[in-house]
Amino acid sequence: MIHERTHQHFLELIHKHQSIIHKICFVYSNNRPDREDLQQEIILQLWKSFPSFQESSAFSTWMYRVALNTAINQTRRPGLLIDTSSSPEIPYDPSDSYQLSEEIQILFRAISKLKKVERAIVLLWLEERSYEEIAEAIGITVKNVSVKLVRIRSRLAELISKFQ
Amino acid sequence: MKSIDLDKIKAAWKNEKAFESFKLSEADIQGFLGKRSKDISQLFRTGLFMDLVLKSLVGISLIGILVIFRENLNLILVVSAILLGLLGAIRYQWRMMGKIPEGNIPDPVIRTSLENKILFYHRHYKKALYVGALSNSLLILSGMLYYFYFKYGEIRPFQWDDYLVFGATMVLGFVIGAFVQIKQLNFQIKQLESCLKEIDEETISTITLRDQRNKKRRMIFIVLLALVCGLLLLAYFIFR
Repeated sequence: MIHERTHQHFLELIHKHQSIIHKICFVYSNNRPDREDLQQEIILQLWKSFPSFQESSAFSTWMYRVALNTAINQTRRPGLLIDTSSSPEIPYDPSDSYQLSEEIQILFRAISKLKKVERAIVLLWLEERSYEEIAEAIGITVKNVSVKLVRIRSRLAELISKFQ
Repeated sequence: MKSIDLDKIKAAWKNEKAFESFKLSEADIQGFLGKRSKDISQLFRTGLFMDLVLKSLVGISLIGILVIFRENLNLILVVSAILLGLLGAIRYQWRMMGKIPEGNIPDPVIRTSLENKILFYHRHYKKALYVGALSNSLLILSGMLYYFYFKYGEIRPFQWDDYLVFGATMVLGFVIGAFVQIKQLNFQIKQLESCLKEIDEETISTITLRDQRNKKRRMIFIVLLALVCGLLLLAYFIFR
Protein backbone atom coordinates (compact mmCIF):
# COMPACT_ATOMS: atom_id res chain seq x y z
CA MET A 1 0.00 0.00 0.00
CA ILE A 2 2.79 2.43 1.01
CA HIS A 3 4.84 1.28 -1.99
CA GLU A 4 1.88 1.88 -4.30
CA ARG A 5 1.39 5.38 -2.89
CA THR A 6 5.11 6.17 -3.32
CA HIS A 7 4.97 4.83 -6.84
CA GLN A 8 1.98 6.98 -7.74
CA HIS A 9 3.55 10.02 -6.08
CA PHE A 10 6.73 9.44 -8.12
CA LEU A 11 4.81 9.15 -11.40
CA GLU A 12 2.93 12.38 -10.68
CA LEU A 13 6.11 14.27 -9.79
CA ILE A 14 7.96 13.08 -12.90
CA HIS A 15 4.96 13.84 -15.08
CA LYS A 16 4.81 17.36 -13.66
CA HIS A 17 8.55 18.09 -13.96
CA GLN A 18 9.30 16.12 -17.13
CA SER A 19 10.45 19.15 -19.10
CA ILE A 20 13.68 18.95 -17.07
CA ILE A 21 14.30 15.48 -18.49
CA HIS A 22 13.61 16.60 -22.05
CA LYS A 23 15.96 19.57 -21.74
CA ILE A 24 18.76 17.38 -20.38
CA CYS A 25 18.19 14.80 -23.11
CA PHE A 26 18.46 17.49 -25.80
CA VAL A 27 21.63 18.83 -24.19
CA TYR A 28 23.34 15.43 -23.88
CA SER A 29 22.17 13.51 -26.96
CA ASN A 30 22.67 14.40 -30.58
CA ASN A 31 20.04 12.12 -32.11
CA ARG A 32 16.69 10.60 -31.37
CA PRO A 33 17.68 7.03 -30.37
CA ASP A 34 20.30 8.37 -27.93
CA ARG A 35 17.76 10.81 -26.51
CA GLU A 36 15.27 8.00 -25.91
CA ASP A 37 17.92 5.84 -24.26
CA LEU A 38 18.99 8.68 -21.99
CA GLN A 39 15.39 9.52 -21.14
CA GLN A 40 14.84 5.91 -20.06
CA GLU A 41 18.06 5.82 -18.03
CA ILE A 42 17.26 9.09 -16.25
CA ILE A 43 13.76 7.97 -15.28
CA LEU A 44 15.14 4.64 -14.07
CA GLN A 45 17.84 6.31 -11.96
CA LEU A 46 15.31 8.80 -10.56
CA TRP A 47 13.11 5.91 -9.49
CA LYS A 48 16.03 4.01 -7.93
CA SER A 49 17.13 7.14 -6.06
CA PHE A 50 13.62 8.26 -5.10
CA PRO A 51 13.73 6.72 -1.59
CA SER A 52 16.67 9.04 -0.83
CA PHE A 53 14.79 12.16 -1.87
CA GLN A 54 14.18 14.39 1.13
CA GLU A 55 10.98 16.37 0.93
CA SER A 56 12.75 19.30 2.61
CA SER A 57 14.51 20.15 -0.66
CA ALA A 58 12.83 21.14 -3.91
CA PHE A 59 11.99 18.17 -6.14
CA SER A 60 13.18 19.99 -9.26
CA THR A 61 16.61 20.68 -7.70
CA TRP A 62 17.00 17.03 -6.70
CA MET A 63 15.77 15.94 -10.12
CA TYR A 64 18.32 18.14 -11.89
CA ARG A 65 21.12 16.67 -9.82
CA VAL A 66 20.17 13.03 -10.37
CA ALA A 67 19.42 13.54 -14.06
CA LEU A 68 22.62 15.47 -14.78
CA ASN A 69 24.63 12.93 -12.84
CA THR A 70 23.08 10.17 -14.94
CA ALA A 71 23.72 12.01 -18.20
CA ILE A 72 27.37 12.70 -17.37
CA ASN A 73 27.94 9.12 -16.21
CA GLN A 74 26.52 7.73 -19.46
CA THR A 75 29.32 6.11 -21.42
CA ARG A 76 29.45 4.79 -24.94
CA ARG A 77 30.51 1.17 -25.40
CA PRO A 78 33.24 0.26 -27.82
CA GLY A 79 32.30 -1.46 -31.07
CA LEU A 80 33.68 -4.91 -31.72
CA LEU A 81 36.39 -3.83 -34.13
CA ILE A 82 36.78 -0.12 -33.52
CA ASP A 83 39.87 1.65 -32.28
CA THR A 84 39.12 2.23 -28.61
CA SER A 85 41.85 4.79 -28.14
CA SER A 86 39.68 7.58 -29.49
CA SER A 87 36.00 8.47 -29.21
CA PRO A 88 34.66 10.05 -32.41
CA GLU A 89 32.12 12.83 -32.05
CA ILE A 90 28.52 12.04 -33.04
CA PRO A 91 27.15 14.85 -35.26
CA TYR A 92 24.13 16.81 -34.09
CA ASP A 93 20.94 15.60 -35.77
CA PRO A 94 18.07 18.12 -35.50
CA SER A 95 15.47 15.84 -37.21
CA ASP A 96 13.17 15.53 -34.20
CA SER A 97 13.70 19.01 -32.74
CA TYR A 98 11.53 20.74 -35.37
CA GLN A 99 9.09 21.85 -32.68
CA LEU A 100 11.77 24.00 -31.08
CA SER A 101 12.29 27.59 -32.21
CA GLU A 102 15.21 28.20 -34.55
CA GLU A 103 17.07 30.14 -31.88
CA ILE A 104 16.91 27.20 -29.46
CA GLN A 105 17.88 24.72 -32.18
CA ILE A 106 21.01 26.77 -32.84
CA LEU A 107 21.65 26.91 -29.10
CA PHE A 108 21.46 23.09 -28.84
CA ARG A 109 23.77 22.74 -31.84
CA ALA A 110 26.27 25.02 -30.11
CA ILE A 111 25.90 23.19 -26.78
CA SER A 112 26.57 19.88 -28.55
CA LYS A 113 30.11 21.14 -29.23
CA LEU A 114 30.81 21.66 -25.51
CA LYS A 115 32.25 19.07 -23.12
CA LYS A 116 29.95 17.13 -20.80
CA VAL A 117 30.51 19.12 -17.61
CA GLU A 118 30.41 22.41 -19.52
CA ARG A 119 26.98 21.38 -20.81
CA ALA A 120 25.76 20.81 -17.24
CA ILE A 121 26.99 24.23 -16.17
CA VAL A 122 25.38 25.93 -19.18
CA LEU A 123 22.11 24.16 -18.59
CA LEU A 124 21.98 25.15 -14.92
CA TRP A 125 22.90 28.71 -15.89
CA LEU A 126 20.10 28.80 -18.50
CA GLU A 127 17.72 27.52 -15.84
CA GLU A 128 18.77 30.46 -13.65
CA ARG A 129 20.22 28.34 -10.88
CA SER A 130 22.45 30.24 -8.46
CA TYR A 131 26.24 29.84 -8.55
CA GLU A 132 26.00 28.13 -5.16
CA GLU A 133 23.57 25.54 -6.53
CA ILE A 134 25.74 24.92 -9.59
CA ALA A 135 28.84 24.57 -7.39
CA GLU A 136 27.05 22.12 -5.09
CA ALA A 137 25.72 19.99 -7.94
CA ILE A 138 29.07 19.72 -9.73
CA GLY A 139 31.28 19.54 -6.63
CA ILE A 140 33.43 22.64 -7.23
CA THR A 141 33.79 26.03 -5.56
CA VAL A 142 31.58 29.04 -6.35
CA LYS A 143 34.66 30.89 -7.60
CA ASN A 144 35.43 28.02 -9.94
CA VAL A 145 31.87 28.13 -11.29
CA SER A 146 32.25 31.82 -12.00
CA VAL A 147 35.57 31.33 -13.81
CA LYS A 148 34.25 28.40 -15.82
CA LEU A 149 31.06 30.26 -16.77
CA VAL A 150 32.99 33.22 -18.18
CA ARG A 151 34.96 30.86 -20.43
CA ILE A 152 31.93 28.72 -21.39
CA ARG A 153 29.73 31.73 -22.21
CA SER A 154 32.41 33.13 -24.44
CA ARG A 155 32.80 29.80 -26.25
CA LEU A 156 29.02 29.44 -26.54
CA ALA A 157 28.66 32.92 -28.05
CA GLU A 158 31.40 32.09 -30.53
CA LEU A 159 29.67 28.83 -31.55
CA ILE A 160 26.21 30.43 -31.85
CA SER A 161 27.66 33.18 -34.02
CA LYS A 162 29.23 30.52 -36.23
CA PHE A 163 25.95 28.59 -36.64
CA GLN A 164 23.66 31.60 -37.19
CA MET B 1 31.89 37.63 -36.12
CA LYS B 2 28.45 38.79 -34.99
CA SER B 3 28.05 39.95 -31.38
CA ILE B 4 25.78 37.54 -29.50
CA ASP B 5 23.58 38.64 -26.63
CA LEU B 6 23.48 35.55 -24.42
CA ASP B 7 20.95 37.12 -22.06
CA LYS B 8 18.55 37.35 -25.02
CA ILE B 9 19.12 33.65 -25.71
CA LYS B 10 18.56 32.91 -22.05
CA ALA B 11 15.23 34.72 -22.24
CA ALA B 12 14.30 32.73 -25.38
CA TRP B 13 15.17 29.53 -23.50
CA LYS B 14 12.90 30.56 -20.63
CA ASN B 15 10.01 31.31 -22.98
CA GLU B 16 10.41 28.25 -25.22
CA LYS B 17 6.98 26.64 -25.27
CA ALA B 18 8.10 23.49 -27.14
CA PHE B 19 9.70 22.04 -23.99
CA GLU B 20 6.21 21.57 -22.60
CA SER B 21 5.02 19.87 -25.78
CA PHE B 22 7.28 16.79 -25.39
CA LYS B 23 4.83 15.04 -23.11
CA LEU B 24 5.24 11.56 -21.70
CA SER B 25 2.14 10.05 -20.17
CA GLU B 26 2.24 8.39 -16.74
CA ALA B 27 1.93 5.07 -18.59
CA ASP B 28 5.06 5.90 -20.66
CA ILE B 29 6.97 6.75 -17.48
CA GLN B 30 5.72 3.55 -15.84
CA GLY B 31 6.96 1.62 -18.90
CA PHE B 32 10.52 2.93 -18.39
CA LEU B 33 10.64 1.65 -14.81
CA GLY B 34 10.66 -1.96 -15.95
CA LYS B 35 13.65 -1.50 -18.32
CA ARG B 36 17.28 -2.43 -17.66
CA SER B 37 19.78 0.23 -16.65
CA LYS B 38 22.82 0.84 -18.89
CA ASP B 39 24.76 2.66 -16.19
CA ILE B 40 28.37 1.54 -15.71
CA SER B 41 27.63 0.44 -12.12
CA GLN B 42 25.02 -1.90 -13.55
CA LEU B 43 27.62 -3.14 -16.02
CA PHE B 44 29.97 -3.96 -13.11
CA ARG B 45 27.14 -5.73 -11.31
CA THR B 46 26.06 -7.77 -14.34
CA GLY B 47 29.68 -8.73 -15.08
CA LEU B 48 30.22 -9.96 -11.53
CA PHE B 49 26.92 -11.81 -11.48
CA MET B 50 27.65 -13.59 -14.77
CA ASP B 51 31.05 -14.59 -13.47
CA LEU B 52 29.50 -15.95 -10.26
CA VAL B 53 27.15 -18.07 -12.36
CA LEU B 54 30.04 -19.34 -14.51
CA LYS B 55 32.19 -20.10 -11.45
CA SER B 56 29.31 -21.99 -9.85
CA LEU B 57 28.89 -24.08 -13.02
CA VAL B 58 32.62 -24.80 -13.10
CA GLY B 59 32.42 -25.77 -9.41
CA ILE B 60 29.57 -28.21 -10.11
CA SER B 61 31.46 -29.73 -13.04
CA LEU B 62 34.56 -30.16 -10.86
CA ILE B 63 32.48 -31.92 -8.21
CA GLY B 64 31.38 -34.23 -11.03
CA ILE B 65 35.07 -34.91 -11.77
CA LEU B 66 35.62 -35.83 -8.12
CA VAL B 67 32.80 -38.36 -8.32
CA ILE B 68 33.93 -39.81 -11.67
CA PHE B 69 37.60 -40.18 -10.72
CA ARG B 70 37.02 -41.07 -7.08
CA GLU B 71 39.64 -43.85 -7.30
CA ASN B 72 42.39 -41.44 -8.37
CA LEU B 73 43.71 -39.97 -5.11
CA ASN B 74 46.12 -37.52 -6.73
CA LEU B 75 43.41 -36.06 -8.92
CA ILE B 76 41.03 -35.80 -5.96
CA LEU B 77 43.62 -33.83 -4.01
CA VAL B 78 44.33 -31.45 -6.91
CA VAL B 79 40.66 -30.89 -7.82
CA SER B 80 39.75 -30.38 -4.15
CA ALA B 81 42.44 -27.72 -3.87
CA ILE B 82 41.11 -26.03 -7.03
CA LEU B 83 37.56 -26.21 -5.63
CA LEU B 84 38.70 -24.51 -2.42
CA GLY B 85 40.34 -21.77 -4.47
CA LEU B 86 37.17 -21.45 -6.51
CA LEU B 87 35.08 -21.03 -3.37
CA GLY B 88 37.46 -18.29 -2.24
CA ALA B 89 37.10 -16.58 -5.63
CA ILE B 90 33.28 -16.82 -5.46
CA ARG B 91 33.33 -15.26 -1.97
CA TYR B 92 35.64 -12.50 -3.23
CA GLN B 93 33.38 -11.69 -6.22
CA TRP B 94 30.28 -11.78 -4.02
CA ARG B 95 31.80 -9.27 -1.58
CA MET B 96 32.89 -7.12 -4.52
CA MET B 97 29.25 -6.82 -5.61
CA GLY B 98 28.46 -5.10 -2.33
CA LYS B 99 31.17 -2.51 -2.94
CA ILE B 100 29.81 -1.24 -6.27
CA PRO B 101 29.12 2.49 -5.86
CA GLU B 102 25.58 3.75 -6.36
CA GLY B 103 26.05 7.11 -8.10
CA ASN B 104 22.82 8.78 -7.15
CA ILE B 105 22.43 7.91 -3.49
CA PRO B 106 21.72 9.83 -1.31
CA ASP B 107 22.29 13.22 -2.96
CA PRO B 108 24.40 13.18 -6.11
CA VAL B 109 27.39 15.43 -6.48
CA ILE B 110 28.73 14.84 -9.97
CA ARG B 111 32.40 14.90 -8.97
CA THR B 112 31.92 12.47 -6.06
CA SER B 113 29.93 10.09 -8.22
CA LEU B 114 32.59 10.08 -10.96
CA GLU B 115 35.39 9.66 -8.41
CA ASN B 116 33.63 6.74 -6.74
CA LYS B 117 33.12 4.87 -9.99
CA ILE B 118 36.63 5.48 -11.34
CA LEU B 119 38.32 4.58 -8.05
CA PHE B 120 36.17 1.46 -7.64
CA TYR B 121 37.21 0.35 -11.10
CA HIS B 122 40.94 0.93 -10.55
CA ARG B 123 41.13 -0.28 -6.94
CA HIS B 124 38.75 -3.23 -6.96
CA TYR B 125 37.09 -4.08 -10.24
CA LYS B 126 40.24 -4.72 -12.28
CA LYS B 127 41.31 -7.33 -9.70
CA ALA B 128 37.85 -8.83 -9.98
CA LEU B 129 38.32 -9.06 -13.76
CA TYR B 130 41.51 -11.11 -13.33
CA VAL B 131 39.78 -13.33 -10.77
CA GLY B 132 36.89 -13.57 -13.25
CA ALA B 133 39.17 -14.55 -16.13
CA LEU B 134 40.39 -17.54 -14.09
CA SER B 135 36.92 -19.02 -14.67
CA ASN B 136 37.86 -19.47 -18.35
CA SER B 137 40.99 -21.46 -17.50
CA LEU B 138 39.12 -23.62 -15.00
CA LEU B 139 36.33 -24.17 -17.50
CA ILE B 140 38.90 -25.38 -20.05
CA LEU B 141 40.51 -27.64 -17.43
CA SER B 142 37.17 -29.11 -16.45
CA GLY B 143 36.19 -29.60 -20.12
CA MET B 144 39.52 -31.28 -20.78
CA LEU B 145 39.04 -33.76 -17.94
CA TYR B 146 35.50 -34.59 -19.12
CA TYR B 147 36.85 -35.04 -22.66
CA PHE B 148 39.33 -37.64 -21.41
CA TYR B 149 36.66 -39.39 -19.42
CA PHE B 150 34.16 -39.67 -22.29
CA LYS B 151 36.76 -40.50 -24.94
CA TYR B 152 39.11 -42.83 -23.05
CA GLY B 153 37.38 -43.51 -19.71
CA GLU B 154 40.61 -42.47 -17.94
CA ILE B 155 43.28 -39.79 -17.89
CA ARG B 156 46.00 -40.99 -20.22
CA PRO B 157 49.68 -40.16 -19.70
CA PHE B 158 50.72 -36.88 -21.31
CA GLN B 159 53.55 -36.22 -23.78
CA TRP B 160 55.44 -32.91 -23.62
CA ASP B 161 53.42 -31.46 -26.51
CA ASP B 162 50.15 -32.27 -24.69
CA TYR B 163 51.35 -30.17 -21.76
CA LEU B 164 52.17 -27.38 -24.17
CA VAL B 165 48.82 -27.44 -25.98
CA PHE B 166 46.60 -27.74 -22.91
CA GLY B 167 48.71 -25.33 -20.84
CA ALA B 168 48.70 -22.74 -23.63
CA THR B 169 44.93 -23.12 -24.10
CA MET B 170 44.33 -22.44 -20.40
CA VAL B 171 46.66 -19.45 -20.33
CA LEU B 172 45.06 -18.11 -23.52
CA GLY B 173 41.60 -18.54 -22.01
CA PHE B 174 42.71 -16.42 -19.06
CA VAL B 175 44.50 -13.75 -21.06
CA ILE B 176 41.77 -13.31 -23.69
CA GLY B 177 39.02 -13.23 -21.04
CA ALA B 178 40.80 -10.56 -19.02
CA PHE B 179 41.99 -8.58 -22.06
CA VAL B 180 38.58 -8.24 -23.73
CA GLN B 181 36.83 -7.07 -20.58
CA ILE B 182 39.58 -4.69 -19.53
CA LYS B 183 39.74 -3.19 -23.02
CA GLN B 184 35.99 -2.61 -23.04
CA LEU B 185 35.83 -1.14 -19.55
CA ASN B 186 38.94 1.01 -20.06
CA PHE B 187 37.18 2.60 -23.02
CA GLN B 188 34.21 3.51 -20.82
CA ILE B 189 36.22 4.53 -17.77
CA LYS B 190 38.33 6.87 -19.92
CA GLN B 191 35.15 8.78 -20.76
CA LEU B 192 34.41 9.22 -17.03
CA GLU B 193 38.02 10.20 -16.36
CA SER B 194 37.87 12.90 -19.00
CA CYS B 195 34.78 14.35 -17.26
CA LEU B 196 36.57 14.31 -13.92
CA LYS B 197 39.60 15.95 -15.47
CA GLU B 198 37.29 18.58 -16.89
CA ILE B 199 35.85 19.32 -13.43
CA ASP B 200 39.14 19.49 -11.62
CA GLU B 201 42.61 18.55 -12.80
CA GLU B 202 43.74 17.81 -9.23
CA THR B 203 40.94 15.43 -8.28
CA ILE B 204 42.96 12.28 -8.82
CA SER B 205 46.58 13.17 -8.31
CA THR B 206 49.24 11.97 -10.67
CA ILE B 207 50.80 10.02 -7.80
CA THR B 208 47.60 8.06 -7.18
CA LEU B 209 47.28 7.21 -10.86
CA ARG B 210 50.92 6.06 -11.02
CA ASP B 211 50.37 3.91 -7.91
CA GLN B 212 47.32 2.35 -9.52
CA ARG B 213 49.29 1.51 -12.67
CA ASN B 214 52.11 -0.08 -10.68
CA LYS B 215 49.66 -2.09 -8.58
CA LYS B 216 47.95 -3.26 -11.78
CA ARG B 217 51.24 -4.47 -13.29
CA ARG B 218 52.17 -6.27 -10.06
CA MET B 219 48.76 -7.90 -9.94
CA ILE B 220 48.96 -9.18 -13.55
CA PHE B 221 52.42 -10.61 -12.88
CA ILE B 222 51.36 -12.38 -9.66
CA VAL B 223 48.21 -13.86 -11.19
CA LEU B 224 50.05 -15.11 -14.29
CA LEU B 225 52.83 -16.58 -12.16
CA ALA B 226 50.30 -18.32 -9.91
CA LEU B 227 48.46 -19.67 -12.93
CA VAL B 228 51.59 -21.11 -14.54
CA CYS B 229 52.77 -22.64 -11.23
CA GLY B 230 49.30 -24.09 -10.66
CA LEU B 231 49.27 -25.62 -14.12
CA LEU B 232 52.69 -27.18 -13.70
CA LEU B 233 51.78 -28.54 -10.26
CA LEU B 234 48.51 -29.93 -11.56
CA ALA B 235 50.19 -31.61 -14.51
CA TYR B 236 52.85 -33.07 -12.20
CA PHE B 237 50.31 -34.58 -9.80
CA ILE B 238 48.06 -35.99 -12.50
CA PHE B 239 50.57 -37.41 -14.93
CA ARG B 240 53.69 -38.25 -12.98
